Amino acid sequence: MIEAILFSVFSLGAVGFALNVVFRRNPVHCALHLVGVLLSLSGLFVLLNAQFIAAIQILVYAGAIMVLFLFVVMLLNVRGETPLLTPGAAKGFGFLFALLGFVELLWIVLGSGGGEGGASKPVVVLPPGFGSPVEIGKMLYSTWLFPFEVTSILLLIAVIGAVVLAKRKFV
Amino acid sequence: MDLAFLISSAAKVLIVLGFVLLGVPLIVWMERKVIGHMQDRIGPQRVGPFGLLQTIADGIKLFMKEDLVPAGADKVVFIIAPALPVITAFLALSVIPFGDTVTVLGHTIPLQITDVNIAVLWILGTTSMGVYGIVLGGWASNSKYPLLGGLRSSAQMISYELAQGISLVSVILMTGTLSLASIVKQQEHGWFILPQFFGFVIYMICGVAETNRAPFDLAEAETELVAGFHTEFSSMKFALYFLAEYANMMVVSGIAISVWFGGWHGPFLPPVVWFLIKLSLFLFFIVWLRATYPRLRYDQLMAFGWKVLLPLSLLNLAVTAVVLTLAANR
Repeated sequence: MIEAILFSVFSLGAVGFALNVVFRRNPVHCALHLVGVLLSLSGLFVLLNAQFIAAIQILVYAGAIMVLFLFVVMLLNVRGETPLLTPGAAKGFGFLFALLGFVELLWIVLGSGGGEGGASKPVVVLPPGFGSPVEIGKMLYSTWLFPFEVTSILLLIAVIGAVVLAKRKFV
Repeated sequence: MDLAFLISSAAKVLIVLGFVLLGVPLIVWMERKVIGHMQDRIGPQRVGPFGLLQTIADGIKLFMKEDLVPAGADKVVFIIAPALPVITAFLALSVIPFGDTVTVLGHTIPLQITDVNIAVLWILGTTSMGVYGIVLGGWASNSKYPLLGGLRSSAQMISYELAQGISLVSVILMTGTLSLASIVKQQEHGWFILPQFFGFVIYMICGVAETNRAPFDLAEAETELVAGFHTEFSSMKFALYFLAEYANMMVVSGIAISVWFGGWHGPFLPPVVWFLIKLSLFLFFIVWLRATYPRLRYDQLMAFGWKVLLPLSLLNLAVTAVVLTLAANR
């Protein structure tokens, strides 16, 4: 019961904030609503027993990346900037990506076997400690060690690249 | 989720809330008295015995002041911004254990609002959200000095959060848990201040920087920015920023106590009393810092954060990891 209420609060919140991100005129307001989306998502993560992911979501996305977003938006003050795309092209691209996203979601929903006519999926029994930092750490350093290391090397390359670009003298 | 749990949780929330709201005027009084004597003055002494009620009088004065919203300010953000740092400070306080378990009517209640297995991450997350209050307050004022103050503080907090987090990771490596209650439990026979002294020093420097207090109060540097991000805030909006600063001092001290100074552990006296003694000492220490050190220059602040604290905290982490591995393999 409580879970249903929380789920509707967080999911409606996420959708509402997301709509505001798109429709607000002021870039700072958009960024703030994006923070709202991220916080709602982290609430949903908690409901899915993924407390660690939820905390990381707040710490990294809402706490660090969005602050940098705001920082850049405030410093650049992009209000009078000429947009990269013409309004028509922007709408076209937007429609294309929205369609792709919709098809993908439809694919997942229809492919999951549940829904109309089909038998509802059995409730998954979670192993003890599911979603806890200990279990995630064990999985990252055993089953998923290779992708984990590859990701870290990728990030290292990005860091070094950023430093090199920032240090270059533009003549 | 039974009734006893609900009632005890509500009671704990009310106790912590009341403690902070009543404690902050006391800390402000303590700060003014201590700094007064350190600067060879007397400090407040007119209202109440030893000037104890001075802060209450100031609070009432702030209530009565006109609540100004500057022309051209972003009204909604301007109203929301002062509340944000207070909210995040209280959220962070919710995972700090302030005593051992007590038994009331057959129910064992841990003296901590909630013991989550991600407490350390939760604290880092909430404190990193606190910067929004300052940066948005600066931006929404539609005025140049507040904007500069807000931007300064966001850059400062992002820079110092890294070293702060990494200094906490060293202790997490030793304990193997992210729960503050278990970290405190593991310190029964020895505080982590001994093996992790450098981690603590780094954390404390970053902690003071996170609260935006002297010597890291560049966000509100009076001599250059009028009053920084809260220049345009009056009345209770200003009071909220004030409250948040002192609540954040409690958060920083509470974490330092729980992680490095044995939490509520101590001989003879009951655990809660030990926690309060340690808390008072830490708050005094932070006030003492303010009376002692001059403000850093902005470039010094950034260079210190990125070129000194971050490498040192990484070094501390690496040494801790190596020592732990060697000890485990022996």
